[in-house]
Amino acid sequence: MKKGELLHTIVLFTILLGGIFTFWFAKGNTSLQLAIGTVTTMAYVAWGIIHHSLKGDLHRKVVIEYVLVGLIAIVLLTTLAL
Amino acid sequence: MRFFRILYHWLVPHEGNNHRAKALHHDALFAYVLLLCVFNLGIRYFHGKAPDVLGYAIDIRVDQLLAATNAQREAAGLSPLRLDNTLSVAAAAKASDMFANNYWAHNSPQGKTPWDFIIASGYRYTLAGENLAKNFQTSDGVVDAWMNSPTHKANIVKGGYRDVGFAIVNGVLNGEETTLVVQMFGATNAAPVAQIPKAEAAAPAPVASEVVTEEPVTVVPAEPAAANDEPVKQPAIGLLPSFISNTAFEQVIASPKVNIPGLTNTMTVIVVGVLIGLLAVDAFVVNKHRVVRLTGHNMAHILFLGTIIVSGLMLSRGSLI
Repeated sequence: MKKGELLHTIVLFTILLGGIFTFWFAKGNTSLQLAIGTVTTMAYVAWGIIHHSLKGDLHRKVVIEYVLVGLIAIVLLTTLAL
Repeated sequence: MRFFRILYHWLVPHEGNNHRAKALHHDALFAYVLLLCVFNLGIRYFHGKAPDVLGYAIDIRVDQLLAATNAQREAAGLSPLRLDNTLSVAAAAKASDMFANNYWAHNSPQGKTPWDFIIASGYRYTLAGENLAKNFQTSDGVVDAWMNSPTHKANIVKGGYRDVGFAIVNGVLNGEETTLVVQMFGATNAAPVAQIPKAEAAAPAPVASEVVTEEPVTVVPAEPAAANDEPVKQPAIGLLPSFISNTAFEQVIASPKVNIPGLTNTMTVIVVGVLIGLLAVDAFVVNKHRVVRLTGHNMAHILFLGTIIVSGLMLSRGSLI
């Protein structure tokens, strides 16, 4: 794994594990958990855009894909909170 | 044969689907978002129309709450609390007030404190506290959540309390169906003195003050009410609704045919499981054939969706103050 890719992977794991940890920390507060889920999703989409931009293969199609995966995640979390 | 061709087209990347499983194309992903939104709104709609068919399975009872609370106290070496009907009436009045005035807090928008309800019920406290919970499904779930919160746990395992009262009420709060649990603790000078743990007995006298925060609350009056024979003044603000009796608000039990949390959990696991499977197959095939294409990072999507599953398992409707 190249040095740049390793850094990207570390940042991705930091975002995801940070999201899980803060989600756990907000146990008992559903609204806060949903807010954390939304922020984690936005951070993930931002990571995807930056990652592909630095790799040199950023395209509108890629951005739309990350946004759609993020939307699926947010709708799922909202459904779980029903 | 045609069926397998269609399946192959939807699930496996190849030249015919631009080297991306059709089920992962943008239009398919967008369709999943729309379908999940319809599913979400459909649950809300049908729950509103037929809550006995599609609803929340709830089984919360005073006797279970009392047993679970006392089990925690006994584990901490404290004497069990006595169920006090007067405190239960105060708890029921508090719950009714929360629904009537649409608030989720220890103090009402009109400035009523938990102590107002306790005093109005006729309980003459020297020490009192309140724990609140909403939207839990079982008695053990409520007490476990309180025990996982240091501030609520502090009320449950406070050596000074002798009595406890509960109210469990279903209603509509802030526009959504809500099951409230109110737990009120108290001690009076009239209560029999039980074993007090050494640490508690040796503690300095608490400062007389009322704590008004979003945390579970405890109060020690400046002059203990039971220290003299003067009765505590009843506030003339009609805190207790006339319909409240000592036996009301003792349990909320609901057994709908379809339990909403079970349904949404199953749906989430299926959707995320299928997506992770599709992404894994897509990554494997593309990697095997060394196809170069413009798409997102499959492994990152898999990790992200895995995070959503883990987070979803920690998501609870239940909340405390």
